[in-house]
Amino acid sequence: MALYDNKYWLLSHIRNSFISTDDTGMCELVMVNEAKEIRQYLGNVESYPEPDDSEDEEDEFESYDLQMDMDFGIRERSNTAAQLEKLDLARKKAAKMKHIKWETSKEQPDINELFIKKDISQAVKKPERKSMLSVLMQNFSHLPMNPYIGYSKFDGCEQVNIPTRRYKIFLTMLSQQQRNYPINICCVATAKIQDLIGLTLLKFSTNHGDSNVNLKSVSNYGLFICEEDGEVDRDFPCLDPKECVAKFGFVCLGLVEHKENLKSVSFPDESQHTISEERMNRIRTISEKSKAEENRQKSDLMAMDEHNKRMEAPLYQSFRVFMLNKVRPKVEVNIGISGERIEIDPIQQKGSKLLAFKQRAVSHYMDTIAWCEITDTKSNKATFKLVYNSNFGTNYNSVDIGGIWKFLSPSSSFPPALQSSTSFKHYDFECDISTAQDIVQKIKLILEVRSSSSRKEYVAAREGKHYNKRKNILSLK
Amino acid sequence: MTAGGENLENDQIILATGGYDHTIKLWQTHTGLCNRTMQHTESQVNALEITPDKQLLAAASYQHIYMYDLTSNNPNAIVNYEGTSKNVVAVGFEENGKWMYSGGEDCRARIWDLRSRSSQCPKIFEVQGPINCVCLHPNQTDLFVGDQNGIIYRWDLRTDNNEQLIPENDAMILDIAISPDCQLMTSVNNKGRCYIWGLTYDNDSSTVMEPRHKFEAHKRHALKCKFSPDSDLLITTSADQTAKIWSTADFSLWQELKQENQRWVWDAEFSADGQYVFTASSDGFAKLWNVKSGQLEREYSGHQKAVTALAFRDAP
Repeated sequence: MALYDNKYWLLSHIRNSFISTDDTGMCELVMVNEAKEIRQYLGNVESYPEPDDSEDEEDEFESYDLQMDMDFGIRERSNTAAQLEKLDLARKKAAKMKHIKWETSKEQPDINELFIKKDISQAVKKPERKSMLSVLMQNFSHLPMNPYIGYSKFDGCEQVNIPTRRYKIFLTMLSQQQRNYPINICCVATAKIQDLIGLTLLKFSTNHGDSNVNLKSVSNYGLFICEEDGEVDRDFPCLDPKECVAKFGFVCLGLVEHKENLKSVSFPDESQHTISEERMNRIRTISEKSKAEENRQKSDLMAMDEHNKRMEAPLYQSFRVFMLNKVRPKVEVNIGISGERIEIDPIQQKGSKLLAFKQRAVSHYMDTIAWCEITDTKSNKATFKLVYNSNFGTNYNSVDIGGIWKFLSPSSSFPPALQSSTSFKHYDFECDISTAQDIVQKIKLILEVRSSSSRKEYVAAREGKHYNKRKNILSLK
Repeated sequence: MTAGGENLENDQIILATGGYDHTIKLWQTHTGLCNRTMQHTESQVNALEITPDKQLLAAASYQHIYMYDLTSNNPNAIVNYEGTSKNVVAVGFEENGKWMYSGGEDCRARIWDLRSRSSQCPKIFEVQGPINCVCLHPNQTDLFVGDQNGIIYRWDLRTDNNEQLIPENDAMILDIAISPDCQLMTSVNNKGRCYIWGLTYDNDSSTVMEPRHKFEAHKRHALKCKFSPDSDLLITTSADQTAKIWSTADFSLWQELKQENQRWVWDAEFSADGQYVFTASSDGFAKLWNVKSGQLEREYSGHQKAVTALAFRDAP
């Protein structure tokens, strides 16, 4: 490694290291497709460029799938080195083993000593007695089974030839003293985050069954990125429980119990409270008291929910949806919505050859967003429309964060805005109904709070249209 | 799950499973937790057997029989019996642990002398087809061997004489079992049929086999047959995704052990009192069933691939 003097290779290695250790994906986004430019540039600078086909370089510089093995550190060794080590290990293992080889000897075994016929006339039925297994089963039948036992199949300890992941997991619900040390968990690489949580709880409950921690079901916990010393980094949301563990490169994780009353830190608005109270009173007159109580709780919860939604609306959240286009196939994108802006990032399709249909990554300031609504709902899918003002302060409108997407679609979504008047454009997206509702509601709530000029203009224009339409209808009559 | 007492008890009960994921697992039977995993890197596990003194676990695999130490925490094998050219498919022990028998696809059944590990005094028996199963008669001197040509051999270890039986043409013998009371012998074949012989013993106490019964146990391959320790029940496992327990009095169906998608059921073992039975199946689980009710009592999950072999030692 130290003797490596191939610039391309070194550069490519550095770039790959950046990309593979950056879990936010930004490096990849920025660096993608740069390789060829760099190569060209280096080729021009150098008066005697090295031949392209030097043997030990990879043809493809862009191996973004390069998997860093956390156990080994810097780089994968060559096949020969790995092979040698394997052989060495096998030899070491073999040295500890006793080997008995089959040999054909002429020597006849001592039959009378080795093969003694047993008198089977005494092979009578054994008296009925309970076996140890039955006794154990009886003794333990009243005890509940470990609820996490099903997760044991994700245990990666001592698996052979199966990719596994090792984690240090800090259990934050333990007492101060206990939580200083993480428990080491090894799971199979195909497990999901929720399986890892289950496995952690299983390991904890079997190894520390005596601690007085009340463990809840897996859905009550989340895994957060955390520091080596066990400090949970709460700036990031917890890892998506449905995602495969192999997607995340973090080794230290903190297991945190989701607090149902986490939201109760903020109290519902006065106004909402009074409304629900009034409604309650009405209900109480017609139904029993207990039912009223139940309903009251329900509506309280609803009010809380509503409030929380409002409070959380400006918090960043990302959704995965399909972007629709009349001429191009639909593209899967991530929509990231925060109080400030909406970002639309294409999700890189592995092995996709349709480079020409790659969607640019764009970002819109919230003030440019005018409207969002569901346009169509089918049995399991919904489409929604996001309207934005395409020339709201020309330059600062759409910030192209990708910047290096080479293959732009022929019909670019961003024609230079020539006319000075407001021009509204829209995106169409498709996703499942509940996600669509969430997104639309979130955006609407944000817009309500901000009440930007774009929105006002759009609403006014729309109403004007309505008005005109109505006028036309009236005049026809 | 308090430590101490139960652990001691549990040491006497050994449940080991192995299969295609190159690991062998030991289980705590009543909780369903895996105690220990041993690495069996070079091959799948074809058969497992525990030595009579409960010190070692033998795993029959490709070209080798590996022995694992049950008393330590060593994840690697400590003894390697080599010299066979193909898969070893069956392994077992003389009741005092003096010797071990094995059978393999190299058409040979072998006797390995275990008394002193340096001086070998092996014995070999060659048959015409690849061996599928080997079974030792409780008299400790008759070894029954079943091969892929459909022949059952009774090999008398004292005299080296052998006797052949062909229960059915064009069918492989997949397993042979002899009841602990020495009254019955059974074999199953790849057509799902089960054959029963009555065993009698002549003046010089050599074994005589008389065909007694034949029935369709399964629709597809029957893979294993085992008698309960009291000889009253017989379990057959099969590729038709079931294991069936039969009463040996009249060979009527006693219980069908079935679970959706459990795929092939490869191996089975009764508890010492015949109240419970373990099965190993391709869905990656070992399972414990209640014989009386047919209910699934425990699932042992942890294997990543099919579980094809299990060994169980109960304490009376």
